[in-house]
Amino acid sequence: MADSEVNLAKTYDAIVVGSGAAGGMAAHVLTTQGLQVLLLEAGKKLPIEKELRSMEWPYDHPHRGALPPDSHSITFNEYTIRRPPYGPGFEKSKHLYSYIGSTDYVKNIVVDERENPLTGTNYAWVRARCLGGKTNIWGRLALRLSDYDFKAKSRDGYGENWPISYSDIAPYYDKVDLYLGITGVKENLPHLPDSIFQRPTKLNCAEVTLKQSLQKMDRVLTQYRAGVTSEGLKHNKYRSRCYGRGACERKGGCDIHAAFDSPTGLIYPAMDTGNLTLRTNAVVREVTVDPQTGKASGVHFIDSQTMKDYAVRAKVVIVAASTLESARLLLLSKSRLYPNGLANSSGHVGHNFCEHIMGPGVAGRAKDLVGKPPTLDDGRPGGFYLTRFRNLAEKHPKFIRGYGFEGGSGSTMFPHGTDSHGFGASFKEEVRKNQGAYISMGAFGEVLARYENYVDLDPVVKDKWGIPSLRFHYKFGDNEHRMAEDMKETAQEMFEAAGFEIVHVSSRVLTEGWSIHELGTARMGNDPKTSVVNQFQQSHDVKNLFVVDGSAFVNASCQNPTWTIMALCWRSCEYLADELHKGNL
Amino acid sequence: MSTRDPIDLRQDRRQWLKSSATVLGASLLPLPALASAKQQVETAPPAPQAKPPETKSAGRFFTPAQHALLEELSETIIPADGHSGGAKAARVADYIDQVFHESVDDSQKSLWREGFRLIDVMSQHYHGKSFVDASSDERIAVLTVLSDNDHMTDLPEVRFFRELKGLTVRGYYTSKIGIHDELEYKGNRILQDYVGCDDPAPMP
Repeated sequence: MADSEVNLAKTYDAIVVGSGAAGGMAAHVLTTQGLQVLLLEAGKKLPIEKELRSMEWPYDHPHRGALPPDSHSITFNEYTIRRPPYGPGFEKSKHLYSYIGSTDYVKNIVVDERENPLTGTNYAWVRARCLGGKTNIWGRLALRLSDYDFKAKSRDGYGENWPISYSDIAPYYDKVDLYLGITGVKENLPHLPDSIFQRPTKLNCAEVTLKQSLQKMDRVLTQYRAGVTSEGLKHNKYRSRCYGRGACERKGGCDIHAAFDSPTGLIYPAMDTGNLTLRTNAVVREVTVDPQTGKASGVHFIDSQTMKDYAVRAKVVIVAASTLESARLLLLSKSRLYPNGLANSSGHVGHNFCEHIMGPGVAGRAKDLVGKPPTLDDGRPGGFYLTRFRNLAEKHPKFIRGYGFEGGSGSTMFPHGTDSHGFGASFKEEVRKNQGAYISMGAFGEVLARYENYVDLDPVVKDKWGIPSLRFHYKFGDNEHRMAEDMKETAQEMFEAAGFEIVHVSSRVLTEGWSIHELGTARMGNDPKTSVVNQFQQSHDVKNLFVVDGSAFVNASCQNPTWTIMALCWRSCEYLADELHKGNL
Repeated sequence: MSTRDPIDLRQDRRQWLKSSATVLGASLLPLPALASAKQQVETAPPAPQAKPPETKSAGRFFTPAQHALLEELSETIIPADGHSGGAKAARVADYIDQVFHESVDDSQKSLWREGFRLIDVMSQHYHGKSFVDASSDERIAVLTVLSDNDHMTDLPEVRFFRELKGLTVRGYYTSKIGIHDELEYKGNRILQDYVGCDDPAPMP
């Protein structure tokens, strides 16, 4: 599908900045409503038909799937001891990627760190600049939030409530479920509402063992709720149903698009309406303002390849560049009218930055599965999700909020257990016999939204395009570290109770940013003094400016954010279209 | 080996230093735990010809002798058995040779050249013959010394062994023999239905 030419003389109904989960959804909803939309993506338009190669055997790849020798992805230790933009220590590496870019299948999706420096506190900032952004490689766990999250302040007194309740967003979760497809099993949990699920895949034997053991503790393990269509989608010709061929762990995307990605799930259908103009390689550097009205008038962008600068106009500007890039763009958009950046009269842009803490977890072996004939265990979109159990009915003495575990079990294309001691015939036999018996899980916990965790613009450092870099002032706090202790302890207890042989218990907290769930830098609220956007993700200050990605989250909850980002965006864009028709923008 | 006490590598290697000092000189001295890569390069012996005569070797980086040694080392780490072929059949040495042919990491190349030499020094010390000439049990005995002491990462032969094992494992389990014959991997094909495990009714 070829990009259409941007018409620089035209005033579009809406410009959408960013083409990931939020930008793709904005393009879908607004073009369906008949609006003329210009979608700007900073990265390239990858030929995803060639780029996503989840079915390639490693022996058919020149480097067995590894990065080329001149490329390197940053490790946990390097994040801890090296400083961006990663000069000394990395002289040999021509290209440098974030930790997720550790295979040849992901490297073209994520940015080169050197072209996109950051400063300040350590942060494993994963950025995907290409059409579809991070949705090309997302983990696919698609969870809803509940009033335990939206009204968390009412429960424990911390932070702020969201200006919406579950009932406001539930119809939009339903729309997302039906339009994009999701697999899972109904559990009727008040803290983790069910979706409208397509056919689920079964758990495997070790997972059933754990599930049954957890039932005695009143804890719920359910099938991985995957943003994957298992039955197909009649309205979408670009996506196949999942036929469970396995090897989904490569993280290199789903080349049959059974797993949701923004290009095939949202953008291609939006182009088919005839109302969408797509411009890739468009690095937006400023949202422009009409000095007479104070309203947004369009954007300036730089062509990432030619470095040429462009100005385009629209009636409405929708920022969906990802939580941190959206905050950066608002802060960059300074003018006489808005000296602190656009939509920032509250001073809250960049603040209340939150995410998920991860690292603690456990790996073990189900002894009864050792030596059993191999089974296909990775022929499904995911393993299991162990739902939150802390601070629901009872109050934990050491921390507030909660965490859940993502996990899985069984054989994989590259076997577990090769890091065990020894060599020779016994080592080989052990790897073979144990391969299907492995089970592991890792926790994702809520990082509290705090005003003092924030990003701002670095006064000196700029990116490849001369745009000021983000500077991080962000650290996990005491509540997170106490929660991480508990994650490790409960993980071990639960595996022991299930009768698993413990192989490894991890208490190590991974670098800030590792979860790739950054949220909250332009939070929503009813009070313009303490929030950036209203419940429809509309700027309090600038009526025709919307910020529709994860930056509007009031807290991080412990559930993965993608499905909520899209449900909120759908709701906001319906409101936007309605207001535009009424002439209120 | 299993009935003996593990050999303390740090003590034993003093004797190799004596017997092979004239050959190897300073390269056998243990490096400080945080030795810089630069230092390794400086103390390593001069590099052999990077490209061996093309008619003689399957490899592009390692000499024919190094390639032959690498084949035996990798096969000792993952041997053929009644179930499937080993590292040799899976051409792991060719895979590792390619990694080094393309590598831009000079300190790693030096470490491996040194590692190959040290393996033969050890084999001579314990068995009076080179690793390639040693019997299967004798080869296992040499690698057992390194494996039993694999926490001594300041020693170049230990670092070499760890890298050797890592690349052998990677090369083997990403090969056709490793994936299909050894592990009998069932995935990456169209599945009618995921078999999984029947989930009994919830407990009362």
